[in-house]
Amino acid sequence: MGTLISIEQSAFAEWVRVSAVGYPLMITSHAIGMGVMVGLTLAFCVRLLGWWQEISYSALNRFWGIAWAGFGLNFVSGTALFTTQATSYVESVPFLLKLALIFVGVVTAALLQAAVTRDADGWGSSAPAGIKALALVSVASWTCAVVSGRLIAYY
Amino acid sequence: MTSVAAWIESTSLSRFIINRSWTWPTLESLHFLGLCVLIGAVLIMDLRLIGFQREIPFRAVHKLMPFALLGFTVNLLTGVMFVFGEPQLYLDNPAFRIKMSLIVLAGLNFVLYYYKVDPLLTRLGPDSPPPPLAKGVGAASLIFWFGVLAYGRLLPYFG
Repeated sequence: MGTLISIEQSAFAEWVRVSAVGYPLMITSHAIGMGVMVGLTLAFCVRLLGWWQEISYSALNRFWGIAWAGFGLNFVSGTALFTTQATSYVESVPFLLKLALIFVGVVTAALLQAAVTRDADGWGSSAPAGIKALALVSVASWTCAVVSGRLIAYY
Repeated sequence: MTSVAAWIESTSLSRFIINRSWTWPTLESLHFLGLCVLIGAVLIMDLRLIGFQREIPFRAVHKLMPFALLGFTVNLLTGVMFVFGEPQLYLDNPAFRIKMSLIVLAGLNFVLYYYKVDPLLTRLGPDSPPPPLAKGVGAASLIFWFGVLAYGRLLPYFG
């Protein structure tokens, strides 16, 4: 708790909390990064589930660089937002749930990216059942991560 | 705008939205998910229009349109609910007006895409570079939609 209190009282946390620019900049960056990472991951999973067959797996796979840039933006802006109320965030159930869901989302996205890079040439028109299941898990975890993020302010 | 706000506040829909604890977080969650769906589809379509990932046929990117429209529809409906719930917060808010203007611009840009750019693209083979108009429309679309997202999030700071 001592560390969290000192994070919360740091000059950086104070800047994010009270300056005219800090909080709006971080919260807007967080929404942009979310749209990029979650939006591209959802589209990628929709393709793996069988839609848009004219788009090759490998072409869509090259959008991951942009998706991970969105995630990076959210990691940085999310950390900045966390510092403003570190002590209450660590006790917030929706926040902890969100972190766990993001962890699952990141792992499944990385696994899907690696699987497509390695094996997609042999898949033909339909991805294997295991890959489709993984895509569904990724969609579910990112969807629930977005919802739990929204609920932080209410619980 | 105050008379419009007063009328909205007198409707039963407005009272329904504001008097229940679950409506606002539910609408926000849907609005954020719709945003992700829309932005994901728009990014892929517009980057292809600009010239990124030329191996994807233009015809194929067009298939993402229903996905984008789904996200937009969810956000239009939930967005109208927000305005019905808290008309005073939105109607006089400069960020809200900029956001609405950007949505109109994005819509006009889409009309330009649909009637002018799309017919050009169907005549192009795979891997051919996009015409300048396609690049312009794609870049404008990205600017407008990311602007919509940013001004939506900045709304509370302009009130």
